[in-house]
Amino acid sequence: MPLCEHILIVDLSSGKMRREEIPQDLLRAYLGGRGLGVRLLRGRHTLSPFDPEMPVVFAVGPLCGTPAPTSARLSVVSRSPLTETVYDCSAGGRFAWRLRAAGIFAILVEGKSRRPVVLAVTPAGEELLPADGLWTKGVGETVRSLSDRGSVAAIGPAGENGVLFSNIMMGEGNAVGRGGLGAVLGGKNLKAVTVDGDRPVPVADRERFDRARADVLRLFRASPVIFGELGISEYGTPALVDLMRQRRMAPTENFRRTVFEGSSVYSGPAIRAAYGAKKEGCFGCPIRCKKRASDGRPLPEYETVSHFGGLNAIADLQAIVRSNDACNDLGMDTISAAATLSAWGEARGRFPSPEEIGPLLRDIASRRGEGELLSEGSRRVAEALGKPEISMSVKSLELPAYDPRGAYGMALAYVTSNRGGCHLRAYPISHEILRRPVASDRFSFSGKARMIKIAEDANAAVDSLVACKFAFFGASLEEYAELLSGVTGVPHTPQGLKEIGERIWLTERFYNARNGFARADDDLPSRFFTEAGSSGEGIDVPPIDRARFGEELTKYYRIRGLRDDGSFPDDGFLGRQP
Amino acid sequence: MIAKYGEKLHRDRSVAPGRVGIAAQDDVMLSEGAPDLARLAADVLSHLSCMGVVAASPTLPFAEFLLRRANAGAKTIVPLDTETRTFLHDIPVVRHGDQAGDPACAIAALLSNRKGVIAEGLGIVAAGPVTLEQAYINYSSVFHAAFVKYLLDVLREGFVLPGEEESFREFRETFLRPLTAEGLSFRARSLDDPGEILSEMRAVGRYTVERGLVDSFFGNISWRAGGTIFISQTAASLDELAGCIDPVPMDNRSTTGITASSELLAHRRIYEATGARAILHGHPKFAVAMSMLCEEKDCPVKDCWKDCPNVRMLGDTPVVAGEIGAGGLAVRVPPVIGAPGKAIVYGHGVFTIGKDGFEEAFRSMVDVENRCRAEYFRRLDARTGH
Repeated sequence: MPLCEHILIVDLSSGKMRREEIPQDLLRAYLGGRGLGVRLLRGRHTLSPFDPEMPVVFAVGPLCGTPAPTSARLSVVSRSPLTETVYDCSAGGRFAWRLRAAGIFAILVEGKSRRPVVLAVTPAGEELLPADGLWTKGVGETVRSLSDRGSVAAIGPAGENGVLFSNIMMGEGNAVGRGGLGAVLGGKNLKAVTVDGDRPVPVADRERFDRARADVLRLFRASPVIFGELGISEYGTPALVDLMRQRRMAPTENFRRTVFEGSSVYSGPAIRAAYGAKKEGCFGCPIRCKKRASDGRPLPEYETVSHFGGLNAIADLQAIVRSNDACNDLGMDTISAAATLSAWGEARGRFPSPEEIGPLLRDIASRRGEGELLSEGSRRVAEALGKPEISMSVKSLELPAYDPRGAYGMALAYVTSNRGGCHLRAYPISHEILRRPVASDRFSFSGKARMIKIAEDANAAVDSLVACKFAFFGASLEEYAELLSGVTGVPHTPQGLKEIGERIWLTERFYNARNGFARADDDLPSRFFTEAGSSGEGIDVPPIDRARFGEELTKYYRIRGLRDDGSFPDDGFLGRQP
Repeated sequence: MIAKYGEKLHRDRSVAPGRVGIAAQDDVMLSEGAPDLARLAADVLSHLSCMGVVAASPTLPFAEFLLRRANAGAKTIVPLDTETRTFLHDIPVVRHGDQAGDPACAIAALLSNRKGVIAEGLGIVAAGPVTLEQAYINYSSVFHAAFVKYLLDVLREGFVLPGEEESFREFRETFLRPLTAEGLSFRARSLDDPGEILSEMRAVGRYTVERGLVDSFFGNISWRAGGTIFISQTAASLDELAGCIDPVPMDNRSTTGITASSELLAHRRIYEATGARAILHGHPKFAVAMSMLCEEKDCPVKDCWKDCPNVRMLGDTPVVAGEIGAGGLAVRVPPVIGAPGKAIVYGHGVFTIGKDGFEEAFRSMVDVENRCRAEYFRRLDARTGH
């Protein structure tokens, strides 16, 4: 018998709150997490991100709170002020399972409070607490102030001030990042959400669940990327620094080059040696890819070290860690912050020095001085400076640390991503670089259109379960479908999950189309078609062939059932969806 | 790509001549091969969100025999070798009765949840969710798992189906070829030049596949030169190692080896424990099968393949238990492999070492498999009275 799940609807304008049962057909059709959040946006998907009536949905998935590996996560869904696309991001830590353990599967926040507030949720009920005293405070102080209320999700000064790439930070150091949802909460005067549940989540078929869980863990142990001695469990995602350098696809100096000679100073082994990095994980996760310094500070991820490092030509680990600390406390996305500074650096002919970065980050969060413009992200900065071509972004979302000239599936996936230039939607780095579950030719477009489509659908389901993408360096939807079958007692298959993922993906694309996005927005910065990367050591990194890229994009649209211009063949798509 | 994998399946003798159909889809569906099987592969693929499907009749009827030997209600076959336990979990079966009407639909329904199926009267059908190569790999995995299970089942239960014994005799007398290292060329001296190392590894990897010591996709190979291990990458085919060998520092000062074989840790520890220069790891089928025969009575260990703490001997070759990757294999193999230069991992495969070159490791693996093959048939003959 499927579980009865509840959504907490919070109207900040009136202060009214109510719990409602989530219709079973929505859970069947969208699972939870990203899918449920996207569905709940329907009808309000064309509102401005800062319209008080634009909802922000926090949703866990059906595996959350069970011992399903890597599943103590939630997605936050709204419309991004940075990209203006529909936007979701998932995060781990403790918040998600404490939310579900409070009897809540999702929170939908709408309206705008007149004064800053904190939403506090417990199994017994929920309340809005005055938060005037916390406004302007950093994330660290906010979390400490609320620590007796369980797990905390909070915004920092960046979110309060409307920085377009501000995060919602989990108290454990995880981030709901990239798209600026921190600013959406800030616009609603919602400083933080606390959750403090302790109820267990039932598993319908324990034997089936345990068998699937054992299968997953066996596959984790067989994966060199996960539990290999050089893998992410040992070194965290900075394990990728040396590999990206060796593959000659590490974005350097605003993507003008693809090798940064100084990258070894912030490699996984270098961080471990300098900070005595210790393992830490999200609730119940066996991988424990998060790393903390001996003094307890969260250490930076691969994207952060690479972008505050090579992208800004900085070979100084201490400075990079300070930048990470500052972004975490101010509540800002490290990728977009570093990439915006890099584009600005290229525009003015000099990348910021390690000493300049800290003050600049604080100016961005406060939107003062140079920070006023920089707070709007690289696309708006570049346009304001009359050099739109130097923003290394897609749909205004700054590209992460995988140069698309070194992985053609990644190049395609950056433009087809519904939330802008993101590596995690299709995550082709998995097969193009990490050879999981099998390898594909990174310098070929052959077959990539369908590979990306399949992966986008699969990952939309993963984001709705909500599981961690890293789990799929070892396991597959085959084992996660079994976990879901065990938890719910209802049979699921990988094929069925991919079909759910396809529905979610198309819904997002449809929303974006209604907000004016079209084929012209599915494009890479021109640099990647006109300038070569850093060839050498037997690896040639030429510019991407624009004609071939366009051909593969057209194939992709056809596989998706779209017209060659990327549009929907009719207006009735949403009406046919549950 | 379709032609490439069709040729590989023929070359490794896992499909009957001309009896393979392969379908792949991009923005259009493509299929090639035997018309009936190509059509089936395309029809199955049209139901799935996958890149490719392989449908083929195996050279050997072992999978078909397993299906027919299983009780009529059995929905799956569960081989207990490590590959199956780790990656396939089990192999669904589609009987004649399930194929009435639309066999492609019935097969696709099972492939929507597993990597490969055995279809009665048709053969093995496997899917590749991410690449076409994956469909080929999954076909090979099912073929390998069925081969090993059938060897074991026959040894334990004898022949039970009409025609089975005759078919097995043909397998023994005609299909199986003498396994030898003769005619192969190895470099006679120790290697230090990276170019020479890579060249020798590519050649030896190819030999390992060509001589049937491993199916193309599986196994791994490495060479130690000073403080560096040159090792095949994860998911690399041993007969296609060009560009798929990682140089990994022994002291872990770099993480470029994150793409190295999942057995990197085992290789490193073997080098540390033995001082060898070369390591070869294959999955020869008789060795895998024989490693799973344990005569211990009333043993409390249930998951022998990973939990057995004992070192058993198959002739002069030690057999130990241990999971792939970060499981126990890297702990249990290094202490036992030094003196004999070889070790078998329960239900998984064979590790061999060479002190100065790959020839010693290769000959050692050939020897292990030949001895296991001989011992298998000795036991079978004893059982059947031949």
